[in-house]
Amino acid sequence: MSLGDVEVRSKSRQIFYSIILIAFSVPVIMAFSMLVLSSFANQMVTNFDFSKVRFTLKNWQLLFQGRIAITGGLRENIFLYLISTAIVALGVAIVTTLVGTLSGYAISRIRFKGRKFVLLMMLMLHALPGSILIVGVYFLYRLWMPTSLNALRYFSFFYVIIARAALEVPLSVWLMKGFFDLLPWEIEWSALVDGASRLKTWAKIMMPLIKPGVVAILIFGFLAGWQDIIYVRTFLIDKTLATFIESNLEAEMAYMPLLAAAATLYLLPTIFFYISSQKLLFKVYAGGIRR
Amino acid sequence: MRRLLFVVLLCAAVLLFASVEDSIVQVGRTLEKNGINEVRYAVWGTGDPNSVLRVLGIVEAARRINDIWAKNNINVKVIIRETRYELDFTQMYQEFLSKQPLGTAGDFLVNSYVYIAPLAEEGYLLDLTPYLEKHKELLDDFFASHIEVAKYKGRIYGLPQDTEARPFYIRKDIAAKVGLDLHGLDQKVLKGEFTWFDVYEWAKKTVQLGASQWGLIHRRGSAHPDLMQFILAFGSKLYDPADGKLVFDKEAIYKWLTIEWVFAREKLLPSDMMAWDWAKQVHPAIVDGKTLFDIGGTWYWTEWQTKDYYTDPKTGQMRGLKPEEVEQWFYYTLFPAGEPGKKPVTLSQPFMWMVSSKAGAQNPKYSALKSTYDELAFLIVAKASDPEINAIHSIISAHLPVGKASAALLANKEWLDKLYNLQIDLDPSVKEKIAGIVKATVNPINAKFLSDVSYMLDHTNFPPIHPMYAKLAAIFAEVVDYVLRGQMDPAKAIDYAIGKINADLDLKASVKIINEIPKDWRFAGK
Repeated sequence: MSLGDVEVRSKSRQIFYSIILIAFSVPVIMAFSMLVLSSFANQMVTNFDFSKVRFTLKNWQLLFQGRIAITGGLRENIFLYLISTAIVALGVAIVTTLVGTLSGYAISRIRFKGRKFVLLMMLMLHALPGSILIVGVYFLYRLWMPTSLNALRYFSFFYVIIARAALEVPLSVWLMKGFFDLLPWEIEWSALVDGASRLKTWAKIMMPLIKPGVVAILIFGFLAGWQDIIYVRTFLIDKTLATFIESNLEAEMAYMPLLAAAATLYLLPTIFFYISSQKLLFKVYAGGIRR
Repeated sequence: MRRLLFVVLLCAAVLLFASVEDSIVQVGRTLEKNGINEVRYAVWGTGDPNSVLRVLGIVEAARRINDIWAKNNINVKVIIRETRYELDFTQMYQEFLSKQPLGTAGDFLVNSYVYIAPLAEEGYLLDLTPYLEKHKELLDDFFASHIEVAKYKGRIYGLPQDTEARPFYIRKDIAAKVGLDLHGLDQKVLKGEFTWFDVYEWAKKTVQLGASQWGLIHRRGSAHPDLMQFILAFGSKLYDPADGKLVFDKEAIYKWLTIEWVFAREKLLPSDMMAWDWAKQVHPAIVDGKTLFDIGGTWYWTEWQTKDYYTDPKTGQMRGLKPEEVEQWFYYTLFPAGEPGKKPVTLSQPFMWMVSSKAGAQNPKYSALKSTYDELAFLIVAKASDPEINAIHSIISAHLPVGKASAALLANKEWLDKLYNLQIDLDPSVKEKIAGIVKATVNPINAKFLSDVSYMLDHTNFPPIHPMYAKLAAIFAEVVDYVLRGQMDPAKAIDYAIGKINADLDLKASVKIINEIPKDWRFAGK
């Protein structure tokens, strides 16, 4: 351990660094705080002048009633949007995790021709933004889409999940390969010698050992699906929370405190996951996995 | 006399829709013969929250068609499977643009007429011309100018759903404080005797006397057309049909920017106006009496009543204005001429019912019955143009009616009373959804306002249907912001705008720069 490591720094220095980090975080914390405050206010909180701000639960009430305006109007089904968002997020998380863990295991353990090339290609694919790939993905969608509207509705969920997960898979494969690389061969050998199949060894022996990594890519996959806007807007027939907020945000006459409530609702899973998985994620990045 | 006129118009409307009704019956029989008992369509609409009849009008039209079929023992039903309403016009247009080729966009789209050109160009809209040739009488009820803007390359791709004027509002109580006589002012504006030179003088006096904080408030935003009225009020134009190019008139734009510059420098207009929030700043400033003049739209009239913009001095609580308060406080005229010798103007951006070229694609036997599904889609839109549906939309959203029969209904007190009590033949689901807005907006004061401002349509203009117009308008919005904030004077702002136009090769090819900055022109002695 070098002298420059955090653990051996003096307390005053640690406090100094903490102050700097907090100072840098202030704008972000302020922005989120104002958003959350606005969701409970009669108008957007954009500064510290609270003289005209009246706090109320009305925005949340309107949101759950699905009303985008104070008076009258069509009702939106927010619960349906929440379910659509969750389906996409969970779908992306499951596909990413399944493909990432299986491929990571194969690439780590099996020396096959073109292995390095596959790894490099995946890295390159990860470097490309999803918006660049969308033209090709759009044409593939058009090729395969069913004609019946009901079938198309299910297909659009399936397609968004697969297309969005494809963007997350390269990172998850790389990450999982790293985890499997760290596990000694002997553990696996003993399982194979005892008669377990490759798949059984992977599922029963290897996976429990790399639980933090699996949980990490599960969370990343979920958040990627939850936050996606380009793919869901282009392909999904149903709306998600992201497209609901986007479609009303730009309008000059939008009732912003209600959208602040929608945005706060949209933030909740992200905050929940980061808080609950903070320690786990720290384990993954700071020291690999603990065995 | 008025009653007689009403009866005549109603008879005309009955006759008018008799032929549409015949077509509805025919289409119903064709569908029934082919074993179709249920036809599904989706409608997408957009706009301010009070304008929900833009989609509910289609729901109501479907119910009326179902009633006609039931009356003729035809066992077919139209079901509106999806009603989607969003506030943002552009977002919905873009969504339609991306989903129409996939067949997952709405079968009906209600949006600004400016989107007709790009959507028709892509082949995404149904050409309504042959149906309108068959039902020529339907066209007679619409204002001709509004049908003209529904055309692209000589074909009609939309039916007008509503229109509007942009009145120049004046606070009556503040005008009284500073001695501005409003009696017959609208006529003076109409004759070009009250121009922006006068607006400036009164705004200055008002602020100097402390009668209000500001002299003028206008909207923020990007490509909205409120401020383009200045160019027209200085006798220029936005588009030249002779060569199909957008026009950048240096002289008119210089004069417009000078007004913005002078007003902001003298603190008659906020220098950060282009960043003001619609609900938090713009409207509360107007309804709380912080400005003498305001450039707005007809829809402001009901928006002030249905949104909590006004801070009641007695309770300190924010609330909507009562119709009597709006009538008592606000005077309205045309947008005054820019200078003596020029004419007043207003500007409209009619909304249109548009039909997707894939309307009804999700229904059985679509390829065999495409022409029937197309015709039915047209008939739904034609039925949604029933004078009653249009008149209800007008009064609850403060947009102007697009037809003569609906305008006549607005002038009918008996009908207004029925509407207020919801004793109108409407689908129960539609009634339930508009009940709150009806109670807040249907009254003789609002009907009179709409009737009073209807003359403005004789002086209206339309923003050009040009694919590059939005880009040019965005440049205008940018330079207005610079001028208001004092970062550029009007002449420099014009150079900057021309630089931006030239930097974009497509825009450069589409814009014609005319005239020069006038050297001897003075506004307010500046």
